[in-house]
Amino acid sequence: MKKFIVLLISIAFLLTGFHFAYEKSKILNESRCLGCIAMLPKAISFHKFWIEYPKNFHKSGIPQIPSWLLNESKKNVVMLFFWYKGCDPCKAQWDDMVANNIVSGSESNGKMTGNFSNITLISIDIINDKLGNLLPIYTPKGKPSETPTTVILFTKNETYWYAFSGKADGIAGRPNISQLKKILNLAMEEKNVHG
Amino acid sequence: MCMGNCLTCPIPYLAISIASIGIKRMYSKPIQKKRLISQLIFLFITNAAFIFGVTGLIYGYFYCWESPQATMSCPIGILEHAVLESSIFLAIYLVGTIAVIGTIFGRATCGWACPIGFLQDFLGKIKLKREIKISKIDRRARYLKYVILAIIPFAVYYTASMAYTNLCPVGGLTATLPLLIFHYNQYTPARFFIPKMIILALTIVLIINIKRGWCRYLCPVGAMLAQFNKISLLQLKFDEDKCLKCYNCARVCPMGLNMPYEVKSGECIRCGLCIDHCPTKALKFEFKWK
Repeated sequence: MKKFIVLLISIAFLLTGFHFAYEKSKILNESRCLGCIAMLPKAISFHKFWIEYPKNFHKSGIPQIPSWLLNESKKNVVMLFFWYKGCDPCKAQWDDMVANNIVSGSESNGKMTGNFSNITLISIDIINDKLGNLLPIYTPKGKPSETPTTVILFTKNETYWYAFSGKADGIAGRPNISQLKKILNLAMEEKNVHG
Repeated sequence: MCMGNCLTCPIPYLAISIASIGIKRMYSKPIQKKRLISQLIFLFITNAAFIFGVTGLIYGYFYCWESPQATMSCPIGILEHAVLESSIFLAIYLVGTIAVIGTIFGRATCGWACPIGFLQDFLGKIKLKREIKISKIDRRARYLKYVILAIIPFAVYYTASMAYTNLCPVGGLTATLPLLIFHYNQYTPARFFIPKMIILALTIVLIINIKRGWCRYLCPVGAMLAQFNKISLLQLKFDEDKCLKCYNCARVCPMGLNMPYEVKSGECIRCGLCIDHCPTKALKFEFKWK
């Protein structure tokens, strides 16, 4: 009887947890390259400066950009920032952007500053955000190592974007922080001239 | 350099041949044959994201979810995120998963499903010139895994980082190294790379020198499951009347237990080696509700 009660309680815990936390667990599992495997991902596939969506990147199964994001990118240059508590590369990237006056505040409540205040910042806590899981859009299929922390996108005729994984440090295909500023300026310039 | 043409590569064939010889010797007894099949099936399920995709289920044993083809979530990773996110539901999900598995099977997943246990079964067979005397510290050292499990939430809370994952040797073996080898142009070592590799090397030395050294002393998932061994449905039954006191069971126990008197110990991984080596069948598995 004792074992039966323990088993029943265990099953109740499992079902409750499964109902409320399965999706969180799945998102965490999917975003494995943002985690801590003692290595940082390179971003070699993003050497081409802007990637056009979806023409050059379209493969079956890649989700479409949601309409609210598409509309925002038509109005402004958008910077997506993906993070979660415990993601060391994300935190390092955010702290560096704060130190270089690109953003201010915290990941959960931040904004663009200085010369970049016209850019729309959308900071996405990948575990808790209600905006939906946008990561698969910018993660090349079969290459979870290229899951981005930072995506800069704007719309001219099509939607163009630039993304990189981990911290902007000039290593292994990633830009350094001054190159990131150039990319943001270039995006604003492109947007103003052609947008 | 790997050209990705596995069918023409001699290394897998060589590895399969060596493994086959080892497997034939190690798994000649009836229960061990079944255990081998179970371990191979779980090794496949654990690394079959290319078939099942990435799920939100939690492994009932220790395996890294950052491993390239991992299908489920790491229990310790979920524990760390539960603390970081203050997510009660992640914690309930983890406790529920471990409790259901533990209540039914006890620590049998360590012996029958865990790929790290499978690896230890092989590495434990490497014959050393000098056998290390561990009996004096063995009993006390077993508490280390409980200490590690207890420290993890505090370490995560106070460092606000994946404190255990950063140094986890299982992650180093099943995620960091494979990613570095198979995707060498996609990653660069980060600050925890060297400490992680040192811990991994020490762990491998440990499990070569001491049978199931990881399970005995260090595995925090084993520490969770051990709590259920006494009440699990799956038990080892000992019939004292049949016992010849030959202590073959104690000699073959990979966990170094004082068999047959510790059949209910939290350390027993239900591998069945004692059953296989008992000449009078005084030990057997049974599912027991009472």
